[in-house]
Amino acid sequence: MPRLVSPLALALVGLILFGDGAYIHAKAWLAQVLLERAFDRSIATGQAVKPWPWADTRPVARIEVKRIGASAIVLEGASGQALAFGPGHIHQSADAGERGIAVYAAHRDTHFRFLRNVAIGDVIDVTRSNGRHFRYRADSTAVVRFDASGIDPAAEGFELVLATCWPFDAVTSGPERYVLHATLIGASS
Amino acid sequence: MDTYDTADGDERPILSRLIKLGLFLLAQGIAVMLVAFVALLVSLGTGWSATTGQAGLLQPGEAWSGSLLLKEDGATTEAIRLGTDIDITVSGPTLRARVTQAFRNPTRDWVAATYVYPLATNGAVDTLKMVVGDRVIVGDIKERQRARVIYEEARRAGQKAALTEQERPNIFTNSVANIGPGETVLVQIEYQEPVHQSGNEYSLRVPLVVAPRYNPAPIVQSVDFRKDGSGWGIATSDPVPDRDRISPQVLDPARNAPVNPTSITVRLKAGFALGEVRSHHHNVKVESPDNTTRVVTLADGAVPADRDFELTWKPAAGTAPSVGLFREHVGDADYLLAFVTPPSTEQATQKPLPREVVFVIDNSGSMGGTSIVQAKASLLYALGRLQPNDRFNVIRFDDTMDVLFPASAPADAAHVNEARSFVGALQARGGTEMVPAMRAALTDKLVDGSMVRQVVFLTDGAIGNEQQLFETITAMRGRSRVFMVGIGSAPNTFLMTRAAELGRGAFTHIGSVEQVEERMRGLFARLENPAVTGLTAKFSDAKADVTPAIIPDIYREEPLVLAARLDKPAGSLEIKGRVGDRPWSVTLPLQSAAEGKGLSKLWAKRKIGDAEVARAMRETTPEESDKAILALALDHQIVTRLTSLVAVDKTPSRPEGEPLKLSDLPINLPDGWDFEKVFGERPHLTPTQLRERHADARNQPTPAAPDTIRLPKTATSAELKMIAGLILIALALILLVFKRRRSLLTDAA
Repeated sequence: MPRLVSPLALALVGLILFGDGAYIHAKAWLAQVLLERAFDRSIATGQAVKPWPWADTRPVARIEVKRIGASAIVLEGASGQALAFGPGHIHQSADAGERGIAVYAAHRDTHFRFLRNVAIGDVIDVTRSNGRHFRYRADSTAVVRFDASGIDPAAEGFELVLATCWPFDAVTSGPERYVLHATLIGASS
Repeated sequence: MDTYDTADGDERPILSRLIKLGLFLLAQGIAVMLVAFVALLVSLGTGWSATTGQAGLLQPGEAWSGSLLLKEDGATTEAIRLGTDIDITVSGPTLRARVTQAFRNPTRDWVAATYVYPLATNGAVDTLKMVVGDRVIVGDIKERQRARVIYEEARRAGQKAALTEQERPNIFTNSVANIGPGETVLVQIEYQEPVHQSGNEYSLRVPLVVAPRYNPAPIVQSVDFRKDGSGWGIATSDPVPDRDRISPQVLDPARNAPVNPTSITVRLKAGFALGEVRSHHHNVKVESPDNTTRVVTLADGAVPADRDFELTWKPAAGTAPSVGLFREHVGDADYLLAFVTPPSTEQATQKPLPREVVFVIDNSGSMGGTSIVQAKASLLYALGRLQPNDRFNVIRFDDTMDVLFPASAPADAAHVNEARSFVGALQARGGTEMVPAMRAALTDKLVDGSMVRQVVFLTDGAIGNEQQLFETITAMRGRSRVFMVGIGSAPNTFLMTRAAELGRGAFTHIGSVEQVEERMRGLFARLENPAVTGLTAKFSDAKADVTPAIIPDIYREEPLVLAARLDKPAGSLEIKGRVGDRPWSVTLPLQSAAEGKGLSKLWAKRKIGDAEVARAMRETTPEESDKAILALALDHQIVTRLTSLVAVDKTPSRPEGEPLKLSDLPINLPDGWDFEKVFGERPHLTPTQLRERHADARNQPTPAAPDTIRLPKTATSAELKMIAGLILIALALILLVFKRRRSLLTDAA
C-alpha cells in the first residue's frame, strides 16, 4: 500500500492544478451567464444592475460577432479581477459610439478566443448598457507590444479596438498583443 | 536453470529499460512542475505590474522631486488650480502692478503648492499679501535663508504660509503651505516698474510664462581662475546650479488644455493727451474716461498664461515730451527720476560710418514654430539693409555652430545672396549653446579700427546659464557693441536687457511676424546713427547718489533714464554728452519736478542691478556686492536674489496628524513653440520620464499614458495549469502501472 502513496500524491497535485485551470474557465463561463442576465436587466430597467451581490464592477456593453455566433459582456475597467469575468473596457479609452477609440481587452483563452476567427470585413455589434446600439466593421489587425500599442486615446474618428494576448496558442504570457481595429458604420438606439 | 537463465536474461533488459523510462518520466514531471510554478510566479508578477503600474504612479516620498501627486487608486485625480489676476496702474513714468494668484485646492488633501512665474525684469517686488478667508496677512522682507526657515517652520506647524523668492531677476517662485481641502488661498504681490520709452512710444510688458530653458549639461567643468594670477581657481561643475528651481513641468499643448487663466486690467494715466493705445499680442477692450486716461481690459476675459502682454501708447499730437522729471520724498531723502531724450542728429547730413556687422541667429529647438520664422524674416530684412561698403558675417547656432565666412566679408551682392540662402535653409533643432556663439561673434579679426563693430544677436534667450553669457560679453566685448533682438512670444527679457547693457548696445523685442519690419527698422535706426556718448550727470547743489553710476551710451530715439537719491531737492541737474561729434548739454531745475510714486523703490532696484553687474564684471568682490544688495533690499523692502518675502498666518489650520502633499504647478508652453523640438533635446529627460510627468500633470480623471494606451495582460494561466495537471495525472498513472507491474514481477519471482 505505501508504494501507492507517491503516485497518488502526484495525481492529487495534478488534479488540483487541472482543477485550478478548469476553474478559471468555469468562472469565466459562469460569470458571462450571470453578466448576460444582469446586462439584459440593465437595459430593461435603465439602471446599473450588479451581476452578483458582491461584484465590484458592472457590465457596460455587449459585443457580438453574429457571423461566428460569438458574444461577450464587457465590464468596466481592465483590472485582473474584472478580466477573469469578462472583457474589460479600458478606462482611458472612449465609450463605444463616442468620438475616440473604445478599447476592449479580454483573455485570449476565454472571452476573446473568438477573435482569431474574426475576419476583416466582419460586422461587430456593440450594445451599451443604456440600450444604444452601434455597428462596427473590422478593418485591420495588428500585433503590437503591450506598451507600444499605437492606440491614441485622443483619436479623431469613431473607432473600436478589441485586444487580446498574442500568439493565441501560446501557453505562457508574453508582451505581444493582438489588436483588431474596427470603425463605426452605423448607430441606432 | 538454463531456461530460467535465458528467461532471466530476457526479462532484465526490459526491466532496466522500464526503470530508466520511469525515472526519465519522473524527472520530466518534476521539471514540468518546476517550470509551471516558475511560469505562474512570473505571470503573477507581470500581471501585477501591468495592472497597477500603468502610469508609473508616484509614491508620496517621491513627490519631493516635483510632480503633481495622483491619488493612489487612480480613480480621481485633481490638481491644484491656479488663476491669476493682474491689475496695473500706470501713473506717468512709473507703473504699479498687483498680481493676485488664487490657489484653489479641489482635492481632499492638505496641499503645499509651488508656482514658478515671470515678472518684469525691472520690477521691484515689495509687497506680499496672503488672503485666507476674510483675513489678510502681510508679508515681511527677510534674508532668503531666514525666510525659508520661517516658511518651513510654519508649514510643519500646520500654519498657512506664503513665500516669494527670486530665482532670476525675471523669474520668481511663490510657495503656499497648508491649503485645506476645497480651500482657496489668495497670494498677492505688488511691484513697481518704470515705463519704457522709445522715441515717441511708451510701453509696458507683462511676461506671463517662463519659457522652458536650455540648461547645458554639467559635463565639462569650467574653471574660474583668481584674478591675482596666482594660478589658483575654482572649478564650477554646473553652469546652472539651480536648474530644478527654474524648470517647472511644461504641459504639451497638443495633449492638455491650457492652464493658469489670467485676467489683465491696465489703468493708464499717461499724464498727457493720449493717441494710439495698442496691445500687440492680446485682444483688448479700451475705455476712455477722459483724454489722458485709458482703461484696458482683455476682450475675451481670461487668457491662458502662454505669452507676454505688451501694451504701447503714444501721445495724441506731436512728439512725446523729451524731458521728464519726477521726485518723491521718502524718509529723510528725496528720490529723483529723470527722462531725457537727446536730440537726434539729421540722418541725411551725416554719411553713416562703414560698419562691420556680425549677425548671430539662434536656430535651437526652442525657436521652433513661429519664432524661427520671425528670426529668419528679421535677419533677411537686416541683410537687405546693409550698405555696399559694410562688412558682415552670419553665425548660426544650436548645440552646434556654423560661421558663414571665415572672416567678415564685404556686403556685395554675391556675399549677401550667399547669406540669404544660408539663412533661408535654417531649421530649428537641438540645444542652445549660446556661449560659444557669442564668443565667436565677439572675436574681432579685422584690424581696421575705423569701422564700427556691431553684433546683432537674434534669440529667445531660453537658457538657464545667463551668468556665463554675461561673463563672456564682459570679458570679450572689446570695441564690439552687442544688440539683442528678443524673438517669440515669451523671450527672456532679463537676458536681453543685461546682455545689451554689458555689450553697450540696445535691445528690441519681436513678438510676431507683423512686428518684424517695424522693430527691425527701429533697430537699424540705432545701428546706423551715431550714439550719444560720454554722458555725465552733475547736480549743482544736492549731494546725489546717481544710478547708473556710469551712464551708458544712448542710441537714437532712446531716452536717458537716471535715478538719484538726494539730500535736498534744490539746485539743478546738468547732463552733458556728445551727439556724434557735437557737444550737447541740458540743464533741469529740480524745483520743476513733478510728484512721482514709488521712485525710491525704482532707485533701489536700479542700484541693486548695478551691484549685480559690478559683481558679474568682477569690479567688486562677491561679498561686497552681496552686502550692498542686502542692505538696499532690506531698507527698501525689495525681493532680490538674497531676500524673500514671507507671510505666516499665526493661527494653525491643518490639524495635527493630517499629512501634507506637495504640488508643483505646471505651466503652459509659450505660444508658437514646438513642444517636440524643445523636449526632444533635453538630455536629462528621457521620453518615458517626460511621459510620466505629463501624466502626473493632467487634470484628467485617469492616470492615462498620454500617447498610447497600454494594453492589459490578457492571458490566463488556465491552459498552463490544465496541461501541467494532465501531465502530472498521466505521470501518476504511469507510475502506478509501473509499480503494479513490478510488484507482479516480484510476486512471480
